[in-house]
Amino acid sequence: MTNSIPEIRDADFLFVTGSNTTEAHPIIAMEMKRAVARGAKLAVSDPRAIWLTEIADWHMQLKPGSDVWLLNAMAHVIVTEGLEDREFIERATENFDSVRETVLRYPPEEAEKHTGVPAEMIREVARAYAGTKKAGIYYTLGITEHTTGTDNVYALSNLVLMTGHLGVRSAGMNPLRGQNNVQGANDAGATPVFYPGYQSASDPDVRDKFSKAWGVEQSSNPGLNLNQMMKVLGTDLKGLYLMGEDIVISEPNVGRVEEALNHMELVVVQDIFFNESCRFADVILPAACYAEKDGVFTNSDRRVQRVRKAVDPPGNARADWQILKEIMDRSGLEQPDYQHPAEIYAEMASLAPKFSGISHERLNADPKGLQWPVETPDAPSTEYLHKNGVARGKGLFQAVDYRPPFESADPEYPLVLSTGRTLYHYNAATQTRRSEGLSGKQPECFVEVHPRDARRLGIEDGQMADVVTRRGRVRSRVMVSRQVRRGAIWMPFHFPDTKTNALTTDAGDAVTGTGEYKVCAARLEPRTEEQPEQVFPGAYAAIRV
Amino acid sequence: MADGQFVIIDGNELSFEEGETLLQVAARADIEIPTLCYDERLSPAGACRMCLVEVEGSRLMQPACSFKATGGMVVRTQTPKVERNRRFLLSLHMADTEQDRERAEDANPSRIFDLADVHGTAGCFPKVEQKRSGRPQDVNKFIEFRPERCINCSLCTRYCEQIEAVSAITLAGRGAETTISTADAKSLTDTTCELCGGCVAVCPTGAMTEKPALAYGKPEKELEKIRTTCNFCGVGCQLDLNVDREANRIVKATSPPPGTTVNDGSLCVKGRFANDFVHHEERLTSPLIRQEDGSFREASWDEALDRVVSGLQGIADRHGEDALAFISSSRCTGEENYLFQKLSRAAFRTHNVHQCAAT
Repeated sequence: MTNSIPEIRDADFLFVTGSNTTEAHPIIAMEMKRAVARGAKLAVSDPRAIWLTEIADWHMQLKPGSDVWLLNAMAHVIVTEGLEDREFIERATENFDSVRETVLRYPPEEAEKHTGVPAEMIREVARAYAGTKKAGIYYTLGITEHTTGTDNVYALSNLVLMTGHLGVRSAGMNPLRGQNNVQGANDAGATPVFYPGYQSASDPDVRDKFSKAWGVEQSSNPGLNLNQMMKVLGTDLKGLYLMGEDIVISEPNVGRVEEALNHMELVVVQDIFFNESCRFADVILPAACYAEKDGVFTNSDRRVQRVRKAVDPPGNARADWQILKEIMDRSGLEQPDYQHPAEIYAEMASLAPKFSGISHERLNADPKGLQWPVETPDAPSTEYLHKNGVARGKGLFQAVDYRPPFESADPEYPLVLSTGRTLYHYNAATQTRRSEGLSGKQPECFVEVHPRDARRLGIEDGQMADVVTRRGRVRSRVMVSRQVRRGAIWMPFHFPDTKTNALTTDAGDAVTGTGEYKVCAARLEPRTEEQPEQVFPGAYAAIRV
Repeated sequence: MADGQFVIIDGNELSFEEGETLLQVAARADIEIPTLCYDERLSPAGACRMCLVEVEGSRLMQPACSFKATGGMVVRTQTPKVERNRRFLLSLHMADTEQDRERAEDANPSRIFDLADVHGTAGCFPKVEQKRSGRPQDVNKFIEFRPERCINCSLCTRYCEQIEAVSAITLAGRGAETTISTADAKSLTDTTCELCGGCVAVCPTGAMTEKPALAYGKPEKELEKIRTTCNFCGVGCQLDLNVDREANRIVKATSPPPGTTVNDGSLCVKGRFANDFVHHEERLTSPLIRQEDGSFREASWDEALDRVVSGLQGIADRHGEDALAFISSSRCTGEENYLFQKLSRAAFRTHNVHQCAAT
């Protein structure tokens, strides 16, 4: 996020796109509700009639995967009606003309045909967005989990740049991070392209720095990202070390992942539960959970906050940092004798200027945490970014054209399936389905179907149905709901008994490789409870302890 | 600040903004006025009458939580009359709820008794006959409403309406029978309630309480609070794990006071209620190694770690280091992710390290 969560309540315009905020980020949604109660305008663009649409001024219920059409059409309105911030564009950006030229080919009337959103609504939202100073964009995986994910993000940032909604309180461009420490994991360099603090792994000077710091010559071979890894499991990749990640639930087209895992020479799983990936493990290491160890998490608004040990881990389980230190020692890479994660943080901070002013000591003293960058021990938290001009010097406009999703509805698979999260469960649900109260509220998977599609297919609310795509078939209960558009169906992916990700496509974004969880072609086949379930074609090494 | 606009509270000349209440002006000057039904995030209800203060020129005392400051106003917050009212009210609230402190605080702390510590009471009044009804048939697993402890301060219903904005609970009934209920007194799980537990967090008397902690049976005051960061989504809510130290057990999670952390006193259903997994019987407690026949056996840490290291080194020797892949988790800490990429890059010289941020 360029801006901070507490700024949301003071915003005057919120553009929420591809984010079911009340379910995925409930506390951020509370801030949005407060802003709306105060009088802020709210525009939601989402194929589903999510809760926020109840209090929204506009719901742009677009067809899944048509985001670039919608966003370019909003930009079209802004440039053709002269609503852009010329002074900001001149001072702080470059390449505006190419975007201007491109979006001129996206008039709202054409966009209406492609997105299903009325042209007049597109105009109203674009005008309101451009005409409000404290106007923030909030997005999540509904924007990124597409083969055009990067394009979608560029199209959004074009809107931000052309209206000068950057470096302003309660405005900005705000991806809401999905996990407690997804920001922190990237910050710490758990990514093939960056060392800690976003120092490029392809920069020889950076590699030299870390070669010296760690006493090991750093490889110049580029690393694989997660999506690339999934595609070469069992072929190029022979050994896999999973720490706290259940790829058999969370990766798209999971049938293929399972098959590939059978061809690995070594799979190590370090986790708190015997998860689905453990079925393919050679060694399983029991880890401590967040309540059993010390450290930091970094949240969505770059806020580094303490995690504190409350109880001892069960049995012989150990904190991940303790396990990793042991493994490094045994691998011949002697490590400092870390007694506490504070020492590990200090080592990272000494190598990463963005965090060099942060320490456990400072975090302990401030219940609100510290938002990076914090480069010196007395530097304050950074509430919002780009305050003193765009960080890279000039904000770069990136013209993007619409490309259709990898799969579209066709006669054989006439529906479009999107997947996502619910309020009551969390990702692979390793934790939440072990809560009686949550499982009681939402015990099993469901597939949302529009009443007219249900009637046409002869499916009733509460009935079982098979959801079928080119990759797999899973059975789920049907929830007839006007929450989805006609022609669209929606499923959560939390339930191990209903492997939603056996259905999704691993066709990925060209830049990030992120799978298109939000769009794939599907069909529904009504079933009765008695009919035997056909297991999807994935390899099972189903061995339990 | 309005130019030259002052109120005098307890002899202190205090400036104020147009529209500010006496309570807000006093709070800025660290003049404490006791409240039971006030929350800075919510519109004032003026229901509990604890904040009544004397305003010169006004025959009746006025509620500081909703009475607006105006220029030249002279206010007294600590006179015998004000204190007498506070003591009387506290006795009345006790007679209406619970007069024995230990019983009153069997689960959550009671602000009534905290205030009585400071201001005293007017003695023990005859117990008020209980007319508020509860919802004993409510099947939700998280939130219990105990009507006999309710003082109708409406903090819970205002929170539900103004912060969580789902309006699942409401004041129902009239007069002495006024209670907190849902539409048709349904279970919370059958309403718009999202089980966030904000009603529990704002309740000053413990009428709204956490079912699991109530069943556990140890008062909150005997638990140790450990401040930490929630491990679910990316908002980074701060929460206090309430720990029974002797039993090494998390009994419940509570939210820090409003205004102190990023979550401003709120938590969602997962942060507040989904910590069962920590003590779940299915937690892994020993390293496991797969045997020839495919089943797992328990192993010592030494054996398991050696097996991991020799396995990784063997693959690096046979196929090169880039045949290894390291996938970490955004669920682990920053320090652990740092060590994990260091393991990959320094111990095994490969940049094949990533985590779920790819999606």
